[in-house]
Amino acid sequence: MSVLSFQNISKSFAKKRTLDNFNLTLEQGEVYGLLGPNGCGKSTAINILANLLDPDSGTVTFNGLPHNRQSRRCLGICPQEIALYRDLDARENLSFFAQLFGLPRPRRLSRVTELLQLFHLEQFAGIPIHALSGGWQRRVNFAVALVHSPQLLVLDEPTSAVDMEARHELWHIIEQLRLQGCTILLTTHLLDEAEHLCSRIGIMKNGSILRQGTVLELLREVPALAIATIEGPEKHCLRARAVSLGWQMRSAAGKHICLMPQTQTLAQVVQLFSGLDLASVTVQPVSLEHAYLEVIDGWQAS
Amino acid sequence: MKPAAPGSTLTEIMSQTWAISARIVREYSRQRRNLIFWAVFPALMLLLFASIYLNNAGTASSFDNTPAGILIGAALFFSCLGGTVSLIVTERERRTLRRLLVSPLHPAAYFLGVTLACCAVAAAQTFVVYLIAWLIGARFHGSIALGVAIIALSVCAYVGLGFFFGARFAKRAEDVNGPVAALGVPLLVLGGTFFPITLLPAFLLKLAFLDPVFHMNQALKRATAGETWWNLRASLLFLLAFAALSILIGIASYRQMLTEEKRA
Repeated sequence: MSVLSFQNISKSFAKKRTLDNFNLTLEQGEVYGLLGPNGCGKSTAINILANLLDPDSGTVTFNGLPHNRQSRRCLGICPQEIALYRDLDARENLSFFAQLFGLPRPRRLSRVTELLQLFHLEQFAGIPIHALSGGWQRRVNFAVALVHSPQLLVLDEPTSAVDMEARHELWHIIEQLRLQGCTILLTTHLLDEAEHLCSRIGIMKNGSILRQGTVLELLREVPALAIATIEGPEKHCLRARAVSLGWQMRSAAGKHICLMPQTQTLAQVVQLFSGLDLASVTVQPVSLEHAYLEVIDGWQAS
Repeated sequence: MKPAAPGSTLTEIMSQTWAISARIVREYSRQRRNLIFWAVFPALMLLLFASIYLNNAGTASSFDNTPAGILIGAALFFSCLGGTVSLIVTERERRTLRRLLVSPLHPAAYFLGVTLACCAVAAAQTFVVYLIAWLIGARFHGSIALGVAIIALSVCAYVGLGFFFGARFAKRAEDVNGPVAALGVPLLVLGGTFFPITLLPAFLLKLAFLDPVFHMNQALKRATAGETWWNLRASLLFLLAFAALSILIGIASYRQMLTEEKRA
């Protein structure tokens, strides 16, 4: 059974259509990654889910029923920015939000302790938020979204501006939450994060999801098995050679991106371009980044 | 995972009001600069006026009225009006307001929570001001219940105005002092906070009758002198009406701010 369903949602601001026939369904216990460039409508979709905005048309259902203020209680939202009371400590912040969600005192105390343990915050529980480092503040920010044990958790770029170690710890927590049956909607610009955490990924552009599926399904959007990135001064010659080999070409950051229909080793690629002046050559398997650029048409014109 | 079951609306609003109020008081208790300003400034003003009045035998009895003016103009004005404006702006700037919006917090609980927190601060300030005044020699001759009622109405009026200024005119922390000082200080002066209203020229005295601070001051000063509820009915009615009006304006401004914040 689907936990959440956006059906044909449209939303415009002034004359700009931010969401255009947006459809999305989340199944119980899955981690769904929403990717897309800035301004593609991710935040608007989250704001509609949070009941901060009403859609112009379409419906949102939660557990099969129309989404409203009551079902919003089943939702935990972790905002991108640190939204905490800086003069209070982690325990006080958690306890305060737990009280707003109506947790009775005994349950509130046990839930706060649980979360402090889950996020390894016990030793910092009594320190005011303003005295914590950015990474620890982000953990508290995340923990607050879980204080009422939500059925659906929305994470808006939860690991932006944290170091690698903290990022991996937060990933571990997200995996634990998934194992406990929590459904998670994750927005991120970090494709490795989406690849690592998400069971399904949707790629958005101009207010709607262009493609969605598992990572493997999205990789099939790239008409290649491997990617060669080639740099050299003789750009036209490089391109002509690649085209003569039957390879499709793309361009990114001034580099020639060759979509190779077969897997080739680095030595084989260099051999295929023999006689041309090559500054650098790299060969890699198709990744989510390539699929993303292919779907949103994010390559630069060659 | 099962979400928390909601309680009845009234119980929930009461619980949320308490949560908001306790949080604000706890935050204030950590902000030493605020605490010092809200306690030391009125105390210093009181000492200054004491040294003026008590040095002159002819005006020594006037010192009984001084704590009322100091409390209304130098204590509650800054904590309940300035404090509310600052609180709202901080919530907006730190994005906690947005987090509150996606929680089940009832807007009425937020308003009541802020008012309750301001009442707690006001009670502490009243205690400090009157304790110092009593130690120096001032006496409160009237009904304590009447004094508490006047202070409570003043707090409500200031909080309502605080919501109005905070929601409408102060978008950033730097904007807090401007509107409060620009409108507030003339009201304090015209309200006879720091000197007897007999010094006001006739045209200003007429204008002063429209100033809520004037009625706060006069009601509390006359209550200090032992006047009854009935004698103060005009000022009390004005204060009641003004407090109700400022709360209504404050609620309307707050609701408009929430709508804007949702769209942001």
